[in-house]
Amino acid sequence: MFEIKTLLILIPAMPLIATLLTATLGKKVLREQSHWPTVAAIGLSCLMSLILVLQVSGESEPVDPDKIGYEETVTLWSWAAVEDAYDYDSPVGDAVYQGDFRIEIVLRADPLTATMLAMVTFVSLLVAIYSIGYMHDDPGYWRFFTYIPLFVFSMTMLVSVSNFVLLYVFWEAVGMCSYLLIGFWFQKPEAAAAGKKAFLVNRIGDFGFALGLFLLWTTYGTLDFHDTIVDGQVQSLGIFGQTMLSTPGAYTTGTVGTAICLLLLLGACGKSAQFPLHVWLPDAMEGPTPVSALIHAATMVTAGVYMVARCTPLFQASTDAQHVVAVVGGFTALLAALIALTQTDLKRILAYSTISQLGYMFLGLGAATALGITAGMFHLFTHAFFKALLFLGAGSVMHAMGGVIDVRQFGGLRRLMPTTHWTFLFGSLALAGVLPFAGFWSKDMVLAAVHDQAAVHPLYHWLYLAGLFTAFLTAFYTFRAFFLTFYGEERIPKAAGHHAHESPRSMTVPLMILAAGALLVGVLFGPTGGFEGFLAKTPSLAYLSAIAHETAGHATGEGSHLGVAIISTVIALAGIGLAVVLYLGSPALRDRLTRVMDAVGLYRLSHGKFFFDEIYNVLVVVPIRAVAWLCYWIDRTLVDGLVNAVGLFPMLVGAGLRPLQNGMVQFYAMAMVLGLLVLIGVLLM
Amino acid sequence: MIELYQIFTLATVLGAASMWLMLPRGGSGGAMRQRWLGALLGAVALGLLASRFPGIGSVVTESVFFILAGVTVVGAAAAVTFRNPLYCALWFGLSLMGSAGLLLFIGAQFLAVATVAVYAGAILVTFIFVLMLAQPEGKAAYDRTSWEALVSVATGSVIVGILSMTVSSVLTAAQRSGELQAAAAESLAQRVLAKQHTALLGAELFGRHLVAVEVAGVLLTAALIGAAVIVAQTNKREISE
Amino acid sequence: MYSEVALLQNYLVVGALLFGIGMIGFLSRRNMIVMFLAAEMMLQGVSLSLVAWSRFHNDFGGQMLVIFIIAVAACEAAIVLALVLMLFRRTGNLDVAVWGELREDNQLPFEEPQLPEPPTEPSEPWPTLTTAGVEPKLKPEQTDYRPNV
Repeated sequence: MFEIKTLLILIPAMPLIATLLTATLGKKVLREQSHWPTVAAIGLSCLMSLILVLQVSGESEPVDPDKIGYEETVTLWSWAAVEDAYDYDSPVGDAVYQGDFRIEIVLRADPLTATMLAMVTFVSLLVAIYSIGYMHDDPGYWRFFTYIPLFVFSMTMLVSVSNFVLLYVFWEAVGMCSYLLIGFWFQKPEAAAAGKKAFLVNRIGDFGFALGLFLLWTTYGTLDFHDTIVDGQVQSLGIFGQTMLSTPGAYTTGTVGTAICLLLLLGACGKSAQFPLHVWLPDAMEGPTPVSALIHAATMVTAGVYMVARCTPLFQASTDAQHVVAVVGGFTALLAALIALTQTDLKRILAYSTISQLGYMFLGLGAATALGITAGMFHLFTHAFFKALLFLGAGSVMHAMGGVIDVRQFGGLRRLMPTTHWTFLFGSLALAGVLPFAGFWSKDMVLAAVHDQAAVHPLYHWLYLAGLFTAFLTAFYTFRAFFLTFYGEERIPKAAGHHAHESPRSMTVPLMILAAGALLVGVLFGPTGGFEGFLAKTPSLAYLSAIAHETAGHATGEGSHLGVAIISTVIALAGIGLAVVLYLGSPALRDRLTRVMDAVGLYRLSHGKFFFDEIYNVLVVVPIRAVAWLCYWIDRTLVDGLVNAVGLFPMLVGAGLRPLQNGMVQFYAMAMVLGLLVLIGVLLM
Repeated sequence: MIELYQIFTLATVLGAASMWLMLPRGGSGGAMRQRWLGALLGAVALGLLASRFPGIGSVVTESVFFILAGVTVVGAAAAVTFRNPLYCALWFGLSLMGSAGLLLFIGAQFLAVATVAVYAGAILVTFIFVLMLAQPEGKAAYDRTSWEALVSVATGSVIVGILSMTVSSVLTAAQRSGELQAAAAESLAQRVLAKQHTALLGAELFGRHLVAVEVAGVLLTAALIGAAVIVAQTNKREISE
Repeated sequence: MYSEVALLQNYLVVGALLFGIGMIGFLSRRNMIVMFLAAEMMLQGVSLSLVAWSRFHNDFGGQMLVIFIIAVAACEAAIVLALVLMLFRRTGNLDVAVWGELREDNQLPFEEPQLPEPPTEPSEPWPTLTTAGVEPKLKPEQTDYRPNV
């Protein structure tokens, strides 16, 4: 029906056209109709992404059995090229490649990309439709619908490029979109500050990413993912190309391998808000809620997960790096869940929940088995649906409450907003991981993968326990928020005004679609093994099974998986039960518990977000301020003083000579005569 | 030599004192007496100088020279020291006459006539015209005072003293040792003192110095236009005010 | 006929005297026209010396130079008198100290330490005539008397 190459080009091109159209025409021509280009373009992109998925799954049977995985690349043009930039010893064989350093705009299609494309465009489409209702009376309406397709363009490019440099470029591009959209209401100081914070924290991660790319280049001599093949001959190797994947020991191990992985992980931590760079994401909730749903929950923040999954072969070469990934993920999941327990801002709760779930994904990636990485990606996939759903539901509540988002100020909204109520319930069940909702399947898969690895390294045992405890906390805080919002006596803040009603259809329809997704995507793709089977054909992941054959004796057991599933379900139900007892039952019990927790300081710790902002302030901001002040002082007193002292000399001389310029003609004539006298004197000497 | 040195120093000091006494210095009481004293001192100084002049020929020629030089110098001193600028201009005219006579005496006939015609005839008359236009009464405060009279007189005197002393000592010494040879009377009669003096001068002027003459012509034209423009602008401004 | 060297020496001394006296005048007098006269006097002194040298060397160069000096002096006179006239119209007097605008900003203008008192000599008694007949009425243009022009 469609060439895969055509689809690959058209999917990002559509939103780009929409951006240009809205940017040029939005303010004067389109105005309240600014959403049409965006919705149409993303709708088309979504359609084409689904077709692409079908095409890829249809063609993904490797024609050549020697080939690892399935991939298709399309080269658009050469962006930059340096002839004979280097020569390096190939990690494969003895050949010395006279390498040209060239960056080509190459798009790729493989199952991983196709999955991400479908997910990104689908969620974007729903969020765009939702925004029509949510943003309807905002003065920056056209601006919003300029940024959204720009983001979609950048994100689709991010997941479909086949080169690390381009990945980095679009990595920054989505970061810029995020910055623009967090600060969408830039008149509000908090929003401007939040945008700045997100940008600066991401700089740290991007710095690591950039260093990682340098190291990759010096190690492998290329930054391409794919092999460049000219006339059937491999002209230059790609890092995840067939040649490298099929050569045992091609990937550098040891210190360099670990360093590459850790630097890449630093970049991923920045983008995906993992400890210790997680502090920007909660503040990013200052942006409009659809942005929170799209960028800061469903898509952009998963770029780090995508990148680590893409780099699986590199991580396979370093066990230490795998452990670091797992520990970062597990620790972040637990930490964010603990913080989420006591937050009162509905969007903040969801933000911490996002961080926590991203931690799960990293935990899965850190397990570093085929199951673990698939689990991480699967969790990414399902999480996009139910977290977007929850955010959009929160946005619906916020819209109805006139911008109030503090759960203490409203309650009992279930009669007022029935659609929002039940869709939110679906999202909460999915997040808590209750059978048969989406979250159950993916979270279970992550836990199972970690449990499997416990046999390999004791570290994973502890991470497994942490994951289970996090699951309990997740269920609890999710339903705490849910009950506080929709149950109890009906309370509506004054700010709500005439807005206090169910949201318009353009907002509820996306909610319903996402609710259906939250219910179904898990069942459809999880237990059937569809997702796993599809994704396994990605070259990077197919590599795993290739090496798994060589290192036999990989512990897998369906029985243990069932056990994990039962345990996690029980734990999730326990969490929900605790929430029911505390928030639907007696307030007295809740108060007593709060007081006990407060007495030991845990409540303050959680409510204060473990004081990371304060700690960073003391450790980073204050020293830098001090140094800056010192520099300022040195500049002011020493440097300026020196300059002024030099400047003082001509001023003093000038002050001394100034009386000579008294404007009296005869004085000047006298000066000339004196000069003449001197001249005569010299001549007579 | 020492004698010459002493006499010139004395003459310079006396001349300076005389100039200082004669210059307008703002005072009113006893001004006339001071000026007469200054004139007396100046005469003494000039006499001292004249006594050291080498002889230049017969008594008649020498007395003619001394009369002309005296008229020139006395006229100059009076032109500088008189209060009324109109008198200054008239004294300056006298001084110009004296110097024109000196030029004639030395054989520069054309220049003597030119000086009288251009300076005394044109420039000086214009001066007097402007003076009359601007200041018919001629007793303004700034005419009866000077800027730093003592300093000016001292400076001027030092220069005169040094110059005349150097000239005298060098020329006298050179003459004695026979180093300095003036042009012979025959060659002078051939050229500078020739009968067709003015013809030779004109030939020189329009021969060797033709370009300079043209440049001078341009300069004169420019000055003419400039002066006209300046005065015209002044008139316009006055009318607009 | 003459002693040429003695003649040169005498003329040089007279030229130096003219030059020096002119310089004294230029430095001390405050009337702009008198200053200009003094400047012309200095030129005259130089001219005298040049002509003397011209004769001494039997060369017309010195006299040529004097011719050009006279030409330049004529130009100078034209320009200076125009300027003086303009300045006089601005301020109403010929004092050079009035024109000190080119001094530095923070310098005070030149001021006479003590201005001379006006001349004390009594005004001359003009003869008075008894009026005869009716005083004629002045025409308007006769009243527009411009004393300075």
